[in-house]
Amino acid sequence: MKYAVIGIVVALVAIRVWLRRRRRPRASVPSPLWLGPLTSDIAMISAREIRERLRGRVLRIGTVIILGIIAAAIVIPVLDKSTSTPEHVGFVGHVTRLQSQLIAASASEAGASYRMIPEASKGEARSKLQSGQLDLALVNGELLMVQTAISPTDSSTNALFVQALARNLGVARAIAAAGISRSQASAVLSAKPLTVIALAKGSAKSPVHSVSIFGLVIVFVMLTQYNTWILMGVMEEKSSRVVEVLLAAVRPMQLLAGKVLGIGMVAFAQATLILGFALLLGNAVGSSFLHGTAPATLAATFLWLVLGYAFYCWVYAAAGSTVERQDQVQSLAFPLSIPIIFGYVTAITTVSTGSASGLFKVLAYLPPTAPFAMPVLVGFGEVTWWEFAASAIVSVASTVLVARLASDIYRRAILQTGQRVRLRELVSRGSR
Amino acid sequence: MPGVLELQGLSRSFGAIHALDDLSFTVPASKVVGFLGPNGAGKTTTMRAIFGLLDLSAGAVTWNGLPVDQAIRRRFGYMPEERGLYPGMLVGEQVEYLGRLHDMSAAAAFAAATTWLERLGIADRTRSKVETLSHGNQQRVQLAGALAHSPEMLILDEPLAGLDPLGIDAIGGVLRDLASSGTCVLFSSHQLDQVEDLCDEVIIIDRGHLVIAGTVDELATSGSSRLVVRVDEDRDGNWARALPGVTVSEVTGGEARLVLGDEMDPQLVLRAAMRAGTVSEFVVERRRLSEVFREAVV
Repeated sequence: MKYAVIGIVVALVAIRVWLRRRRRPRASVPSPLWLGPLTSDIAMISAREIRERLRGRVLRIGTVIILGIIAAAIVIPVLDKSTSTPEHVGFVGHVTRLQSQLIAASASEAGASYRMIPEASKGEARSKLQSGQLDLALVNGELLMVQTAISPTDSSTNALFVQALARNLGVARAIAAAGISRSQASAVLSAKPLTVIALAKGSAKSPVHSVSIFGLVIVFVMLTQYNTWILMGVMEEKSSRVVEVLLAAVRPMQLLAGKVLGIGMVAFAQATLILGFALLLGNAVGSSFLHGTAPATLAATFLWLVLGYAFYCWVYAAAGSTVERQDQVQSLAFPLSIPIIFGYVTAITTVSTGSASGLFKVLAYLPPTAPFAMPVLVGFGEVTWWEFAASAIVSVASTVLVARLASDIYRRAILQTGQRVRLRELVSRGSR
Repeated sequence: MPGVLELQGLSRSFGAIHALDDLSFTVPASKVVGFLGPNGAGKTTTMRAIFGLLDLSAGAVTWNGLPVDQAIRRRFGYMPEERGLYPGMLVGEQVEYLGRLHDMSAAAAFAAATTWLERLGIADRTRSKVETLSHGNQQRVQLAGALAHSPEMLILDEPLAGLDPLGIDAIGGVLRDLASSGTCVLFSSHQLDQVEDLCDEVIIIDRGHLVIAGTVDELATSGSSRLVVRVDEDRDGNWARALPGVTVSEVTGGEARLVLGDEMDPQLVLRAAMRAGTVSEFVVERRRLSEVFREAVV
């Protein structure tokens, strides 16, 4: 825990110092970020994108919020487990040995600890329930009292404890009414459950379940956010006409590649920070979410975030080059995001049900949906290494084709101003 | 290194419209050349063609006899008609960035940005975002961006549009200085009086082809001679109406504006005026560029 906090503080201070250095007037401009040795046009264009994005508050505030949510999701369950307070059980009258055994068994069943507190009367127990000093009260072994009615769907420790205790004491009373001996009653109450044999492997519940959900949310949020940046960035360069100045010096493909590379590097830096933070913190506090196939799921999530971004960034860049107004961007953004939303919703549903359908396995080989489907299959342990590699190769090959098509559209559309450029026009025209 | 830009037979159509129609002209070194034409004449299309921003159906652009490619274009400076700057970027960084895209080192780009922003009077806005500047100051930033890498050829589309007289003087002074140091300057404008004051040469195009080109002096003194004559005893200019080869174009306040035919000698007109009375004014008038322009594109 201590090292995780130190690491985060050092990273934040380093970013802060770097941003301050950028603001200070200087005699010479330092080479752009860590791209120093690379002085190519693409590197310069990428460096500008990185600088402008890091300068924006959206990224910094968004990252801090995400880290806060992750910290809460990892730390709170651990703290909750280690600091759970015992149930205060008041009792009026005598508690038999059998009842004591049933109270202990019910607490164990609910995962609760408890403390027995003698009360002089039912009225005193009632007043302590009202003041919160007691969580429940057993009156003469016949009646259980709680302050607030318990819903059947309530899954809190207190609710589970009360429900188990009420059920077990009821059974004990029924056994006593049946007139069987104490040893017979004890044998009935301590009966061993039947062995259950499963014909199929069970669903991947937590911790892999949690990691899959976490990974899907990260991929969805980052693909949506960073592709929208590309869409907006290309549109703004076109609407501000700066693209005409830039293309007088560099080729369209260089400008496009520099933009998607720069924004992509910011995306991967943020993803690395988030995943690294989650790993460090989880390890430091001894969270259980990194067990089983969870590390492989996280690694697959990161890889598919890269592949997903590489595929979608070209699509969004080409789309951005056809528009030059905010309302036109909005009309484009939703249809473009449909495959992302579809992949995300399908994957979340699959994780929730715990088993992958045949259709879902097909989606894991389609580049638009593979970034969501494949990491889930990895989490389920239902994919071999060569299936994983085959899907990645399909995605990379598709990305190359999409990039070529997108750069062609971009080259033809980016200097056409005045009205939205239709795809049909771009296909029918051979030149600018 | 001073050079010569040559356009040879540029042609480009947009549907049925011939934006450029076998257009050819030369922009010499160390000159400020005005590029004129009515709206839709093809000026912006020509400039875009020089920078390879559109494909030509025919023709070639050369620099010192070599086809203009990306490496050569990087030695050119460009200021498009619809200004192109990143609204959210800092002024100084914007100019540096444009300099670096033209093969400047980081240190040289920083120094050039500092120098030009200072010279154009906006050094105090170096750390401001472009979008917070007035139109005129954004225009200066745009010019600084085009000049940062000390271009051998400077092409400006409507650089004077929207500027106040002080801004026009500042940019005009910069253009004159650049030309005198060997830079080739071509700029378009509809402000013909400023073009006349600023330019060494003028190129006028219409409907995508060349109409007339030459030095400002050549254009001003070409064509019919023009005289303004005042004869105190004949304030209606009747004395001139009878002269052969002379047309009275206008009479105002006793001044008669005369257009002389090709064969008519101004000295003969002077003698005729003196015979008609006391000549209190006799001026041989140069043609204004606006007149040359109107005659050329009608």
